[in-house]
Amino acid sequence: MRRTVRRKTLKDAVKRHEPHLVLRGDLDVLVFLNFLLFLHRLAEEARTIAIAGKSKIIKYEHVLSSAKIILKKSRG
Amino acid sequence: MPSRKARRTKDGPELPSSLIKNLFSHYAQVPVSKDAFKVVERSVSVYFKHLSNDLKAFANHAGRKTAEPADMELLMRRQGLITEKTPLNVLIEQHMPLEYRELLLPIATSGNKVVPPKLK
Repeated sequence: MRRTVRRKTLKDAVKRHEPHLVLRGDLDVLVFLNFLLFLHRLAEEARTIAIAGKSKIIKYEHVLSSAKIILKKSRG
Repeated sequence: MPSRKARRTKDGPELPSSLIKNLFSHYAQVPVSKDAFKVVERSVSVYFKHLSNDLKAFANHAGRKTAEPADMELLMRRQGLITEKTPLNVLIEQHMPLEYRELLLPIATSGNKVVPPKLK
């Protein structure tokens, strides 16, 4: 499984929303770490919700409600 | 005429959707339905929007126009990812692929030199 992206892509991901913000050093790599942890949390929460709803697969609404919780937790 | 790539980066997801899909299903460990991935991609987009906003706020607060790695560390502390028990180095070690890990973690090389010197 591919697990890396070009660092330019990471910089562009932030630049798209804040074009005038300059990123220093290895910040983009840390952004990727943060992104991985976000997805990890999101997936775990969605799985918990799915299992609580007696579903064996993760469905649309499970991710939707887990996204609400995890996006709230990821605020700075 | 804008190239295909330029158009895709404008309104597509921030990172390649195959990567998001792979990682999410890897972390989920149970089957994920097809339409669920759409929500995942959308929440990733919202996540990046919040993230860049936060980074800008932290940099502005420190009177800088440049976001530094220290800002990211502060953000992760506020997100409850970095705690007393799990410092940043542990998170890097557990979650990052090797290519990125060696950029961030200091490695001792011959001649008692440590590369990279220190995470700033």
